Amino acid sequence: MFTQFGATAESLSKASTMVFRIGTDAHLYDDPDDVNIAPLLDSKFDSEKCEALKRLLALIAQGFDVSNFFPQVVKNVASQSIEVKKLVYLYLLHYAEKRPNEALLSINYFQKDLGDTNPLVRAWALRTMAGIRLHVIAPLVLVAVSKCARDPSVYVRKCAANALPKVHDLRLEENTAAIEELVGFLLNDNSPGVIGAAAAAFASVCPTNLSLIGRNYRRLCETLPDVEEWGQIVLIGILLRYAIARHGLVKESIMLSSRDLENIASENGASDTYQKGNEDSNAYFGLKESNADLTNGVCKSEVVDIVSRSYLEGPDKYLSKHRCADVLSSELEGLHFTSAKDNEDIKILLLCTSPLLWSHNSAVVLAAAGVHWIMAPKEDIQKIVKPLLFLMRSSNSSKYVVLCNIQVFSKAVPSLFAPHFEDFFMSPSDSYQVKALKLEILSTIATESSISSIFQEFQDYVKDPDRKFAADTVAAIGLCAQQFPKVANTCLEGLLALASHESTYGDNAATDGEAIVLLQAIYSIKAIIGKDPSSNEKVIVHLIRSLESIRVPAARGMIIWMVGEYSDIGNVIPKVLPVVLKYLARCFTVEEVETKLQILNACGKVLLHSKEEELWAYRKVLSYMLDLARCDLNYDIRDRARFIKELLSCYIGSSDTEEGKAQQESRDVSRVLAGRIFGGQIKAPSSEQFSARFYLPGSLSHVVLHAAPGYEPLPRPCSLNFEDPSINSNIVEGAKRPGDGATQSESYTDDPDSVSGSLNEESTSDYSYADSIGGSDGTGGSNVSSSLSEVDVHKEPLIHLSEVGYPNANPDGGSHVDNQYSGSNNLGELISTRSLESWLDENPNSGHNLSEPSSIRKSSARISIGHIHGRVEPKICALLDPANGNGLSVDYAFSSELSSLSPLLVCLQVSFKNCSTEPMMNLQLVEDNKRQDSSDHASAMTESSSHGDVPSLVPMEEIANLGPSETINIMLQVRFRHHLLPLKLVLWCNGKTYPVKLRPDIGYFVRPLPMDIGVFSAKEAQLPGMFEYTRRCIFTDHIGELKKGDKPGTNDQFLVICECLAVKVLSNANFFLVSVDMPVSANLDDASGLRLRFSGELLSNSVPCLVTLVLEGTCFEPLNILVKVNCEETVFGLNLLNRIVNLLAEPARG
Amino acid sequence: MLQCIFLLSDSGEVLLEKQLTGHRVDRSICAWFWEQSIAQGDSFKFLCRVADVLSDYLGGLNEDLIKDNFVIVYELLDEMIDNGFPLTTEPNILREMIAPPNIVSKVLSVVTGTSSNVSNTLPVATASCVPWRKMDPKNTSNEVYVDLVEEMDAIISRDGTLVKCEIYGEVQVNSHLSGLPDLTLSFANASILNDVRFHPCVRLRPWESQQILSFVPPDGQFKLMSYRVKKLKNIPIYVKPQLSSDSGICRISVLVGIKNDPRKPIDSITVEFQLPPCVLSANLTPNHGTVNILANKTCSWSIGRLPKDKAPSLSGTLVLAAGLERLPVFPTFQVGFRVMGTALSGLQIDKLDFKNLPSRPYKGFRGLTRAGEYQVRS
Repeated sequence: MFTQFGATAESLSKASTMVFRIGTDAHLYDDPDDVNIAPLLDSKFDSEKCEALKRLLALIAQGFDVSNFFPQVVKNVASQSIEVKKLVYLYLLHYAEKRPNEALLSINYFQKDLGDTNPLVRAWALRTMAGIRLHVIAPLVLVAVSKCARDPSVYVRKCAANALPKVHDLRLEENTAAIEELVGFLLNDNSPGVIGAAAAAFASVCPTNLSLIGRNYRRLCETLPDVEEWGQIVLIGILLRYAIARHGLVKESIMLSSRDLENIASENGASDTYQKGNEDSNAYFGLKESNADLTNGVCKSEVVDIVSRSYLEGPDKYLSKHRCADVLSSELEGLHFTSAKDNEDIKILLLCTSPLLWSHNSAVVLAAAGVHWIMAPKEDIQKIVKPLLFLMRSSNSSKYVVLCNIQVFSKAVPSLFAPHFEDFFMSPSDSYQVKALKLEILSTIATESSISSIFQEFQDYVKDPDRKFAADTVAAIGLCAQQFPKVANTCLEGLLALASHESTYGDNAATDGEAIVLLQAIYSIKAIIGKDPSSNEKVIVHLIRSLESIRVPAARGMIIWMVGEYSDIGNVIPKVLPVVLKYLARCFTVEEVETKLQILNACGKVLLHSKEEELWAYRKVLSYMLDLARCDLNYDIRDRARFIKELLSCYIGSSDTEEGKAQQESRDVSRVLAGRIFGGQIKAPSSEQFSARFYLPGSLSHVVLHAAPGYEPLPRPCSLNFEDPSINSNIVEGAKRPGDGATQSESYTDDPDSVSGSLNEESTSDYSYADSIGGSDGTGGSNVSSSLSEVDVHKEPLIHLSEVGYPNANPDGGSHVDNQYSGSNNLGELISTRSLESWLDENPNSGHNLSEPSSIRKSSARISIGHIHGRVEPKICALLDPANGNGLSVDYAFSSELSSLSPLLVCLQVSFKNCSTEPMMNLQLVEDNKRQDSSDHASAMTESSSHGDVPSLVPMEEIANLGPSETINIMLQVRFRHHLLPLKLVLWCNGKTYPVKLRPDIGYFVRPLPMDIGVFSAKEAQLPGMFEYTRRCIFTDHIGELKKGDKPGTNDQFLVICECLAVKVLSNANFFLVSVDMPVSANLDDASGLRLRFSGELLSNSVPCLVTLVLEGTCFEPLNILVKVNCEETVFGLNLLNRIVNLLAEPARG
Repeated sequence: MLQCIFLLSDSGEVLLEKQLTGHRVDRSICAWFWEQSIAQGDSFKFLCRVADVLSDYLGGLNEDLIKDNFVIVYELLDEMIDNGFPLTTEPNILREMIAPPNIVSKVLSVVTGTSSNVSNTLPVATASCVPWRKMDPKNTSNEVYVDLVEEMDAIISRDGTLVKCEIYGEVQVNSHLSGLPDLTLSFANASILNDVRFHPCVRLRPWESQQILSFVPPDGQFKLMSYRVKKLKNIPIYVKPQLSSDSGICRISVLVGIKNDPRKPIDSITVEFQLPPCVLSANLTPNHGTVNILANKTCSWSIGRLPKDKAPSLSGTLVLAAGLERLPVFPTFQVGFRVMGTALSGLQIDKLDFKNLPSRPYKGFRGLTRAGEYQVRS
């Protein structure tokens, strides 16, 4: 821009845009916080709320953190205005993860919205709810999704499908089965829109569970053209994987063309033409191994082989295998093949994907082309060529992607694209990357007939202003010339002309660009000459002549290398050699390092190859140069000089002095050595194809050439077998599952009662049976389509149970013995830890439903911690600060005592302290007359309305007089309307009022429920799935405690940890400590598997609530704790879980 | 799967940020992308679509427009993509869900201070099997226009031979029809079409069997199909550049004229070329039209229509950098032109039939050919 006009231009443009920007949201973006946003959010007008939210959005857009408005924004979720809702959702989704606790408050409204009559509202609620991504609400979301999956509106069902990956992202193992079942259900939908979204969900949730596809394969193929484009892309990939896993590769396809299939072909009686083609190609390769094959329909077998193996195994695996073992045969040999002609499934896939080659979405075309490339018979692959070429006429980036794919196709089957070489001619808008790819493709697909036109083009490109591209063109010319000996001469002429042309600019206008073109030209010439040096003598001489004018060191080096290498070829070169060597010797000192090295090498070689008569002259030149080199500044050159001198001492050293025989022998050795080193045939590095990586066509990995996250090679052919019983049972399971988040699989594989023996075996299996039957009833008719399994549902579970239950009981029974054994082994250590008061027998496998490794741990010991209650000290919170209360300080602590009046009341120990010097009169706490705004909905959330008549505060007796520095404690009984929202009270003192807020502690909404471990396990087993919530947190308190370590008798680390945890939990929540299980392991530092159980019941309705803490980690490190809450009250359970996690994670006071 | 979308301004500053999955991406990543200025992958197609829709909504795509309408942009992005997977990209449906900004809503918001652009109801089309069409739109005008818009790509090599000439064309339809009409379009010479791509509304089976386009059109303007016709022989205009260098000065002359008369007026003729970096200064004079040399050394000669009396020519000298005798590289000339009223590929529409319509609508056909990548090497 013009800086001098900057100021005015800017203000002008501002002024002019102001006019157009009236009525837009521009002012909100430019000055989002020029008004106070908070009051606007609380406004009762939707328009003001809207404005506030827009301002917040603007701040988010500009990268500010406005999460502090979260509580106020969340409140607005209840708004009826669609626009407010939408804006709140946008905000919520951005910050939900940051403020999980507040986000939970909105869940109720979402659940309400899910029942709205407007499908748009339902869909948005579901999307936002799933987008919040909190572990605790995953079960709720899953229920919502399964409800929405049966919604009458297509849009809502589509959103349900989209929500599944979000739930899956939370990585809760217990939900996996339910999610997969929902995916299967949605794949069965009759709307193409839903199928597309379901396919996307499938691809991200369970891409390997191809049996889900099997049920609907045909129908999915047929709806494919109607699915929206984005879904098509995913669905094509899934169908391809399924077809390969189910039927294997197609034997007519190019994927198998390299393999010797004659026996298979004859077995199956394949078409004659195919067999013939195969033989032809074999014969052809037998004849001309090195030459590129360009005849009709034949492909480069080794490339195709690599490509197909890479597709199946992933290039990294394939390459590593290829490197370490030269045995090419792999397990692929045992593959099953199928025929596209006989197999209906593959036929229908090809039939339904071929019209997609006309799609206007490039990615769809690419995906469809990929299917044909892998599955279609060779003669049909032609189909994909034109659509692919047509894709190039789009944006530069899509062009690049398409070319990357064409590059591989053309490498494998050059004949495919050979007739269309004109399409790869450069257009001026191409980027350098695109041009480079086009060049590579052009040199791959060139044929005898097209090479002349391609050369015409190349000649034009050489003059392109982009010198890097010109250099690449020169390289491509070299490649083509090596492929087609017929045109080699023309190429050489052109390249020589170019080299001399370029070298004329060498001195003055030498930019880097010119240098690389020249270098590449010489390099290409060298490569072409290398094919047939003897017939290109003139070219070498020409180059030697141009040495004078070429100044680029690397180029000079290459020419000098040729001098040495071809010094004994033809008639002319030996004649000019003496002159050349003298010239080189003369300019040796002014050369660059790399050229000097080449000069030394070349001289050595010349000497080696020289005949007797010239030997003397060369020897002189060489020793002159060696002398120069010995004094060179560069030590590489000095080294090289010494090396050559030693090596060629027999040539250099005067042969007139006769020396001993030993000397003679060593001379012979060095002569052979020198011959080997200088005269050895250098093998051209093997073609780059072997190191090339091939990824599936159309994948991102293919473009970036490394495995992008989520890349999967094709499945193993025929790995999916419908006769396989495991798949059948899988389907049975699926059918039983109503998709409500309950995880039955654990309910019978991991049965706690059968192990502990406190309940008999029959009753537990009854329970599980009832559960699974209930599940199948719950699904109703929705699963009728999976009729395959329906029959089995009613008898299978029983059989299943009895089968699985027994073997599972056995190892656990065995572990009893095991434990004793290990216990006696470690006895010495264990006895020394005096604090272990008692040993109970082994852990009754309480890892039920807990999907974490500690359940594998077989042996553990149970201890009881004595005097723990003595150490429990409830947390004291301030109700009124002396600074605010004229010297009156009021503190409160939740008490573990229970109210005798009503179960809804919570007991508080309130202490009034007079910090002032004057006495205080008439102290009393009373209810705030004004009810809280949101208590209405809040109460509905937790408590049934039957208790509505219980007052918020049981009236307390007035404290008549409180003397200076006197303290009075009073027991208060309070009813909180909601377990998160504070209760507003008014404190009377000396006739004045102070508003105070009593914050509830969810930990005291329960009372201890004493039970033994057996009952605990049984109860826990009754609260699976959506009644179970888990979260992880880090616990660090114990470290400080352990470091104190001076208390004798309690120095057992585990015990200290357990006590820390138990005290912390019991100080903050009114629970009963059921048991403490300790792992017994060789490693005393490893606290993993330590398990604490607490039980309690809700005050309001006596619903039991179980808490389990499982530790992971070592004693002196921060411990990873898995907190699990089992409770029927969903919202309460979630909030409790959050509370426990927070209190454990917060560091100890003091 | 996309993880996040950032909209950047021309200076690389983040205008908007939208996180799509649980894995948050820090906005500092943008700086890297800005330096690399590359974006590749299959998601790219979706980003193009987003850009299309946004510019469709905002009437352009620049920093100010995004700032002005950031709420709409957010709302649109939210509708278009969910958890990294495209949700609704059909512009017709989006328009019903989120109203584009227009004069009326602007005025309303100024006057009343309230206006909502979020629709209260779910567009019915989401449920239909033709999601691209609004359910039962009512149009007062009953008309349909079919335009053949073609772009001619050609390469003319240094020695003046035609290396390649092909046409990339689009059939653009503008339909204002009521109800759920079913249209059939057939070409007189469909066989000349080399490659084709279709709008999702086109039924693919009839094309496979009879090369007939059968479709239920979306409302308004849309691209029915695109096609390519290869190996054409006739180009409408020629451009003959000549460069001769001598002792650091390069003489340039460019002649333009009609080669194969398309029998329709050719207008908007332009010739553009990039001066090589070694050119220090240029002195160019045309005998018709105007020449502009832009900051990035692009010369643009706009001719407009060809005059009747003379052949337009451009001549002048280029001064080369010191030490250069001759011009080492040669620029490529990009030619632009427009021919109204004809499709140079020769594609002809045979007939357009209607089904399911109460009254016969008005039909209009037009052709237009532009230069695409029409390059002449010197």
